Amino acid sequence: MSALPEFEKRSQQEVKATTCYMCACRCGIKVTVEDNKVRYIQGNRDHPINKGVLCAKGNAGIMKQNSPAKLKSPLRRKAGTERGAGEFEAISMAEALDILEARLRKIRETDPLKLAYFTGRDQMQALTGFWASQFGTLNWAAHGGFCSVNMAAGGLYTMGHAFWEFGDPDWDRTKYFMMWGVADDHASNPIKIGLEKLKRNGGKFVGINPARTGYQAIADEWVAIKPGTDAILALSMLHVLLKNNQFDWEFLIRYTNAAYLVVHTPNQTGHGLLLRDAEGKPLVWDMRLTAATDGTRPSITPALFYEGEVQGKPVKSVMTLIAEEYLDEQYSPENAANICGVPAEQIERLALEMAHVAFKESIEVDVPEGWTDWAGRKHYKFIGRPVSMHAMRGISAHSNGFQTCRAIHFLQIMLGTVDVPGGHLAKPPYPKHIPPAIKPAKDCAPNTPLKGPPLGFPTGPEDLVMDAKGKAKRIDKAYSWDAPMSNHGLMHMVITNAVKGDPYKIDTLMMFMANMAWNSTMNTAEIQDMLREKEVGGEYKIPFIVVSDAYHSEMVNFADLIIPDTTYLERWDTISMLDRPISEPHAACDSIRQQVIRPDRDVLSWQEVQLEMGMRLGFPALTNADGSRKYESYKDFIINWQKEPGIGFLAGWRLDEEGNEVHLRGKPNPKQWERYAENGAFFEMHLPEHIRYYRHANKDYLEFAKNAAWVGSTHQIVIELYSETQQRFKLAGQGLYDGPMPTEAHHKERLSTYFNPLPFYYKPLEQCRIDEDEYPLFAVNQRPMFMYHSWDSQNAWLRQICAQNFLYMNRQRGAALGIQDEAWCWVESHHGKIRVQVKLVEACQYDTVWTWNAIGKQKGAWGLKEDANESNDGFLMNHLISELLPVKNDALDNVTNSDPITGQAAWYDLKVKVSPAAEGETGTWPTFPALKPLPNAHVAPDILRYQAHKAVNLERPLADVLSRGSVHDGQRGTANKE
Amino acid sequence: MHPAFSVIFFTVSSGAGYGLFIWLAIAQLFGLASLNTKTTLIAGGIALVLITAGLLSSTLHLANPKNAWRAVMRFKTSWLSREGVFAILFYPSALLYLLAIFMSDHETTTFIKLLALSVIIIGLATVFSTGMIYACLKTIRQWHTALTPANYILMSLTSGAVLLTLVLLSNKVFAASMAITGIGLLILTALTKAIYYFWVHKVTGPTINTATGFTRAQVRLLDTGHSAGTFLNQEFGYQADPSLLKNLKVGVFVLAFFVPSLLLAGVATDYLGVGAALLAFASVLAGLGAERWLFFAEARHVIRLYHGAQHT
Amino acid sequence: MKLGLVIDLDVCVGCHGCAVSCKQWNTSGTTGPLTDYNPYGKDPSGVWFNRIRSYEVGDYPHNKTINFPMSCMHCEQADCVDVCPTGASYKRAEDGVVLVDQDKCMGCNYCSWACPYGARELDRASGTMKKCTLCIDRIYDERLDEYDRQPSCVITCPAHARHFGDFDDPNSNVSKLVRERGGYALMPELGYNPTNRYLPPRVTRPIPTNDVKKKSLISSVKEWVNQAVAR
Ligand SMILES: Nc1nc2c(c(=O)[nH]1)N[C@H]1C(S)=C(S)[C@@H](COP(=O)(O)OP(=O)(O)OC[C@H]3O[C@@H](n4cnc5c(=O)[nH]c(N)nc54)[C@H](O)[C@@H]3O)O[C@H]1N2
Ligand SMILES: Nc1nc2c(c(=O)[nH]1)N[C@H]1C(S)=C(S)[C@@H](COP(=O)(O)OP(=O)(O)OC[C@H]3O[C@@H](n4cnc5c(=O)[nH]c(N)nc54)[C@H](O)[C@@H]3O)O[C@H]1N2
Ligand code: SF4
Ligand code: SF4
Ligand code: SF4
Ligand code: SF4
Ligand code: SF4
Ligand SMILES: [Mo]
Repeated sequence: MSALPEFEKRSQQEVKATTCYMCACRCGIKVTVEDNKVRYIQGNRDHPINKGVLCAKGNAGIMKQNSPAKLKSPLRRKAGTERGAGEFEAISMAEALDILEARLRKIRETDPLKLAYFTGRDQMQALTGFWASQFGTLNWAAHGGFCSVNMAAGGLYTMGHAFWEFGDPDWDRTKYFMMWGVADDHASNPIKIGLEKLKRNGGKFVGINPARTGYQAIADEWVAIKPGTDAILALSMLHVLLKNNQFDWEFLIRYTNAAYLVVHTPNQTGHGLLLRDAEGKPLVWDMRLTAATDGTRPSITPALFYEGEVQGKPVKSVMTLIAEEYLDEQYSPENAANICGVPAEQIERLALEMAHVAFKESIEVDVPEGWTDWAGRKHYKFIGRPVSMHAMRGISAHSNGFQTCRAIHFLQIMLGTVDVPGGHLAKPPYPKHIPPAIKPAKDCAPNTPLKGPPLGFPTGPEDLVMDAKGKAKRIDKAYSWDAPMSNHGLMHMVITNAVKGDPYKIDTLMMFMANMAWNSTMNTAEIQDMLREKEVGGEYKIPFIVVSDAYHSEMVNFADLIIPDTTYLERWDTISMLDRPISEPHAACDSIRQQVIRPDRDVLSWQEVQLEMGMRLGFPALTNADGSRKYESYKDFIINWQKEPGIGFLAGWRLDEEGNEVHLRGKPNPKQWERYAENGAFFEMHLPEHIRYYRHANKDYLEFAKNAAWVGSTHQIVIELYSETQQRFKLAGQGLYDGPMPTEAHHKERLSTYFNPLPFYYKPLEQCRIDEDEYPLFAVNQRPMFMYHSWDSQNAWLRQICAQNFLYMNRQRGAALGIQDEAWCWVESHHGKIRVQVKLVEACQYDTVWTWNAIGKQKGAWGLKEDANESNDGFLMNHLISELLPVKNDALDNVTNSDPITGQAAWYDLKVKVSPAAEGETGTWPTFPALKPLPNAHVAPDILRYQAHKAVNLERPLADVLSRGSVHDGQRGTANKE
Repeated sequence: MHPAFSVIFFTVSSGAGYGLFIWLAIAQLFGLASLNTKTTLIAGGIALVLITAGLLSSTLHLANPKNAWRAVMRFKTSWLSREGVFAILFYPSALLYLLAIFMSDHETTTFIKLLALSVIIIGLATVFSTGMIYACLKTIRQWHTALTPANYILMSLTSGAVLLTLVLLSNKVFAASMAITGIGLLILTALTKAIYYFWVHKVTGPTINTATGFTRAQVRLLDTGHSAGTFLNQEFGYQADPSLLKNLKVGVFVLAFFVPSLLLAGVATDYLGVGAALLAFASVLAGLGAERWLFFAEARHVIRLYHGAQHT
Repeated sequence: MKLGLVIDLDVCVGCHGCAVSCKQWNTSGTTGPLTDYNPYGKDPSGVWFNRIRSYEVGDYPHNKTINFPMSCMHCEQADCVDVCPTGASYKRAEDGVVLVDQDKCMGCNYCSWACPYGARELDRASGTMKKCTLCIDRIYDERLDEYDRQPSCVITCPAHARHFGDFDDPNSNVSKLVRERGGYALMPELGYNPTNRYLPPRVTRPIPTNDVKKKSLISSVKEWVNQAVAR
């Protein structure tokens, strides 16, 4: 073999580890840099999340760094020009910070609620939330309210961890995996890695989804469900399990509240609450004692099924209620099939298959050193039921998503698969006690930090954030009767409410990483109008809008002040265990970003901006008593700030009293950033064998977790099949609660109808208020695996994969509707109308249409030219969706189109009709005026020839040219091995 | 396949040029026509102009013409290379041949005979190579047949014969035997073409099922993985209107074969003169243009299977 | 040696990771840059060595979606090489990798016509033919650690649907996979004898349900007898 030339000049290259931010999965990357240009981005093989692999987006980082849409400097709306007209002037960073400071100072000194600070794809809500609470405003939340709070709430209120980023299937051991409504999700690479593992191990993968693409493509079985009906499918499977006596008795008795006794006094105060003893301990019926006893005690023999009278009250065990409810014929596979469109035989078979795998193929993991349960008893085995599940926005983006999510957890719990080998595992710092013991802050005052974080977990009406008259205190009306358990706020309501002045007016809206003027808003066109809306006096209804973005998004166009951020390769950043961390089920992890490219523009990371503002405004946590700054920089702050002694943002490489490096808890270590950088930008601490499972009841784990400040107590985390929290709100709606209760009829109805201690199916709210015959088709979105929301159309490589989205429709349905493949069609909902191009496919449930999310763009945004396909042929489904319920001229007209329990935006409740457009009607509609280019915008080239260095060609010698073909000339192209 | 003008022009023009020169040499060898030096030189000149124009046009098709000279390197395996080598070899023998004719003032010496023979062989080899460029491609079933080189050779010889008839007539040289040869060729070529068109319609070869390996159910394309065109779409995605294809075929037979045969019959029987021969050649050219266009437009590369075509 | 790839259709989720990874490695690689045309305007397009298509097999509701990555198959009988007049295209004797010498190509497109798998794309800016190099500038780079001496698309694939190795070695991972999983070649009837192989979707194991199906189904709470389970 002839020697190869030196293709890469390694001496001129540097490889640095950092964390990807092409999406929220936060994979570890190694970036090869040559002359401050990215040569190559590679997955970090040691990294807990991605183990070396990268997705399409992660691989396209070069083109994000190279984007012509990058903001170059701070910008201010030109005086005298209209908001949204795109007339900006470049200002210096110093000036921008001064403007921001003055504005914020005034608000903080007078009425901190006048600041609404909302963040979109924010990865450090622990920091933005900290900032908001130091500032003293309740009006802070991240995108969770429109994203997937239903999953978080459904899980955290049931088993102390959740789907989303809180847990993972035990990919190594699971033998049966059911995926509900997932296209890519946050665990983007881990799911792909896991699915392959599952299939290699011979496991079965069932995909429940109206569309068959991506993950469902490789599913062993596809369940083409009608959107919004998963609860009935799940509960019907539960029905089958119950009928066949297929549930895990031991798991239910030891680890859940299934045996707890519930007071059964319908229509009376206290009905449906747990029966408790004098100390407030829940009671069970003990079969040996034949008496009620403290159900939290070990070594008792609780009756799973019990009905009788205790303390003079009629009671039933939780399991009795469960059986009564779900054995009912309404949950029979035949009835469920009518609602969800999945054949009855299939429902029954799937349930029984899971039972078989859970109980006939159960696994035992030996623990030689033994594990100790919460009561101090030693066991030498972990019993595993290798059935696992994952669910995401196909479940959560419906107004019945909370109850549906709980229904899915019910299946897992009945089969005993929670935090057991082969089941669904929590990721540290989860599981937490149910729910996590943080209550939302209720009060604020000038120049005063909040007493707690703005967001938390209410357990009853007294935790809501309302004034004495029952009026919402938060601008998004979170924790009000509209959405009592809105643990992540309702970001999708902020603009609408602020413009209406309902519940009040604000002064400044500050947005970080959220494209609220476009794809992350329901009802795009009207939101743009609202952002422009003025008072009679001529002032804007939202007087001042500050946007932190790194690129020329649609939202940037509506800002009064734009603070340009660095790109993810240009900044120092933290992914903390105080937030949703990057942990793996069996390892506690967190990570950092380090600067690998030096910015060439006047930009400042939002992390630095927040810190700077906090210090200028004198936040107590950031300043000393004399008002001087406590921290030099963001990096200094991350090292030295402590939540409680020994606990900071980063858990790795802290210091013990002797100055040795220790993990999880310890004093600040000035070398902490260096340690992370040396270790590939992450910290990973594997949990010892004996604290890897049953962590809700694993004493050693709970003690370990308490030391790390993940949990507040070492009490057993009892899984809540029966939700007393739900019942409290229900009672409040029924007028039977001993505490705050709503006064308005529609609130009473909302609470009494949708809150329920046991999950149930109800038709999504929007669908109850429209004529379903007129709008027969469900319309949903899917995340394309190769794009992240709006921000990847600026990416020259990714947009080649998809610059135009289609509306995908079932081929047979298309034929029935007289719609041709690739025809332009009108799609109408109760709220709006769009024109799109239809593609007829097999991969779509008969009653559903779907499209890729966020491909459509406003002309002129994202550094794209005006003729870009995204703005001429691509479209957003959002124009069809309303943030309010369909108008029916009743009290619900102004109520949020969200889950009535959590306030989760109900994106996927949408129903539409589709009809062919007239001859000549082509191109997307509606279109929007083109955004003006920013004053110092980069010019997008017509041809791109990116290269970090000149190519070194591999030359073919002349003799070889003359002498060798492939095989025709008798010489095999491939030489035999010598 | 996309019918590129440069390639159509190249094959038609150089094909006619080689055909003309070949017939010139044959006529010389076998005394088919009473050629004189002037006519030979004129005919040879025209042939070389046609050949050269064609070759130049074919280099226009190259994206990196500065490396065109390298095209001779792979004579061993590449028909394109062979075509190039033969085309290059053709020039010295053709020029030598014309020079010899000029020097000997049209006396058929053995040397000239040898030169004529070499011109015929190299010319045929060149045209055969052109045909084989297409015929050797297993990826395009419409081309992958012995009919392709046969067609190229026949087309070249036919158009050459008609052109030689025209040149002879316009130089007032007796041309009936050439015209009759032309008619014979026209009929033979038309027959071959008819067989080709009949054959090409029988769908055979790979399908979307064999292309993907999924043979037990219908396979449909869901997504190409790119929303705009790519090199593959541009190069292989050409799709002509089926009715246009049909009509053009009739056009091919009328223009390339029927009309010129009639006209040549008139010439051979002395009813018609040089004008008719000119018309006949023009008609052949137009017909051949259409034929060549169809040759490309009807060719369906197997890559189309991956873009959703059920068969080629 | 006979180097090539195995693509596992059972697990490819169609994420395009491999395609983009190929793009980023190779745009600064030995045949780079891989030009992009109109990158920020209408109909953006460019040179790629690896493209992911998706197919649907069967009719709804019995349809299956197959994601189908395709790059150069490094064919044994590489007609693309034999038809190339300049000798720019060649198949390396030592490992069977098919390459295009960028300094010799005249951009005639002919090799792309001879390729049944759409593996060659002309770069309009350089006027030369480009194609998958099997990451020749990675697989022999001894300064990389052993694992990294694999194609970029292989190391990046999140579903581990891509495998690289020597098909001449019966004990290599690729040879084993092909044997065990019935790896097949695309369009074998054309006789190119492609090196790359595709693994068909696995057949799902049947899961018995009769052992968990009760003959007398429970229809009310009363029918349960409590089991004595100690908490
Ligand atoms: N590549 C990529 N990855 C991303 C993102 C991205 O933009 N791009 N975004 C990130 C964000 S913010 C989020 S929230 C997550 C969301 O991650 P996913 O949960 O994967 O989000 P969606 O794409 O909304 O997926 C919804 C899926 O549910 C299906 N579906 C819709 N309605 C129903 C239903 O009623 N029942 C069932 N069973 N299925 C249904 C849809 O067809 C679709 O496949 O992804 C994150 N990851
Ligand atoms: N129809 C429909 N609409 C939806 C959904 C749906 O399923 N269907 N999904 C919803 C969901 S779940 C979500 S989470 C939202 C997501 O919506 P958003 O959170 O609005 O996400 P993006 O559109 O990506 O916008 C994020 C903004 O952050 C900016 N950005 C990117 N990188 C940086 C950076 O480094 N620094 C700063 N400061 N800014 C940066 C981007 O330029 C962009 O303007 O969309 C929602 N919208
Ligand atoms: S999944 Fe992809 S985009 Fe997201 S962090 Fe990982 S590599 Fe980056
Ligand atoms: S990276 Fe892997 S899973 Fe993704 S498209 Fe390529 S082969 Fe398929
Ligand atoms: S796939 Fe195409 S380019 Fe690659 S070796 Fe085979 S014929 Fe040549
Ligand atoms: S395009 Fe280049 S590599 Fe292809 S056949 Fe022509 S000269 Fe050879
Ligand atoms: S082997 Fe290398 S060049 Fe070939 S497709 Fe994979 S990444 Fe691209
Ligand atoms: Mo989201």
